[in-house]
Amino acid sequence: MKLLSPLLLLAAAVNASILTLQSPKFTIATKDGQQSRSEPISLAQKPSPLHLSQTDILKLTFQIVDKSSGNGVQPRQVFLRFYDEESGEEGIQPLRVASTGKVKFDLDMSKPPLSIPPTSTAPLEVSLFIGGSTTSTSYSPLKMDLFSLHIPASHPVPPHPDEASFHLLPEIEHTFRPDPKLPPTFISAVFAGAVIAAPWIVLLGLWFSLPSLPLPSLASPSILPFTLSIGAFEFLLYKYWVELKLGDVLFYGAILGGVTVFTGRTALRAVEQRRVGK
Amino acid sequence: MAAPSSSSSSSPVLSLWKAYHQNTSDRLKFIDSFLIFLMISGIIQFVYCVLVTNFPFNAFLAGFSSTVGQFVLTASLRSQVNPENKGVFKDVSPERAFSDFVLGSIVLHFFVFNFLG
Repeated sequence: MKLLSPLLLLAAAVNASILTLQSPKFTIATKDGQQSRSEPISLAQKPSPLHLSQTDILKLTFQIVDKSSGNGVQPRQVFLRFYDEESGEEGIQPLRVASTGKVKFDLDMSKPPLSIPPTSTAPLEVSLFIGGSTTSTSYSPLKMDLFSLHIPASHPVPPHPDEASFHLLPEIEHTFRPDPKLPPTFISAVFAGAVIAAPWIVLLGLWFSLPSLPLPSLASPSILPFTLSIGAFEFLLYKYWVELKLGDVLFYGAILGGVTVFTGRTALRAVEQRRVGK
Repeated sequence: MAAPSSSSSSSPVLSLWKAYHQNTSDRLKFIDSFLIFLMISGIIQFVYCVLVTNFPFNAFLAGFSSTVGQFVLTASLRSQVNPENKGVFKDVSPERAFSDFVLGSIVLHFFVFNFLG
């Protein structure tokens, strides 16, 4: 017995109860009661598309029953879905169910409910969704396509302000500053010559106007190495400008710096001797 | 009363010039010519930048700052070497001033070549 009860529960769950509709019917009538169309809704074959005008009222009635027992059921969730296949707009209308399972719904086109989606000339597919178990039994959910409905077109939906950001955005075109232009070669050559030549002319002119160039005898053996090391530094910097990398320059510079310290000390000591001795 | 500065031989500018020539030693005039050389070089580069183009800008900055920096170093060498300033620079011998000048010039040249591109 103990092993049998879980199996019975499993069997009950597998055979969950099934809902069905009893006597579904729709009626299209005008306000003054004139009925233009009244048909039962066949669950096997969809009726021909319905057409509603501004003054029509669509009345929908059916009863939700348990398929096996035939008793009325009052599920908690009963919805009518209006779906426009072309634009993808849909509207959901909850329906009120009596305790006996009877449902009555009126769609008055002169006062359309808020659940109707914006429409164009395309038809709305109307389907019924039933779900939710009652307290005692659980029913498998039911979805049923009822009919196609043509209603008057609404105003077009104003586009959402953020609509554009959900589509492909226009390609970004960058505008760059135009490349700087070089001046004409002649002018640039004239100024290059001026910068290089003119100051040197002035300098040499001034130097040779002095009665005696106050240079210490640069070629003397105590001073020449110093001059050469300074010249070597300038040569190293020229090489740096042309081809060397920073690490190499610093390495060679350190070596040359050490050498220059020694040559400098001898040279300047000699100059000082000469100055003091004088 | 100040004498008119156009024709009189005792005009201030002219007497300044004469005093400079008489009282400055040849060594200092040697350094002064170098200062004038640097000034002219800097002025011509600046005039080019203003008149023609400042492209490439880094080259202008490197060249101009090399003249300005060298001018500063040479001016400080001149003031330290001038025998009339010996009272101000008691601890700095002219040789020490010259070695400072050489070191400063080498560092300046290094930075200028870095920026020259």
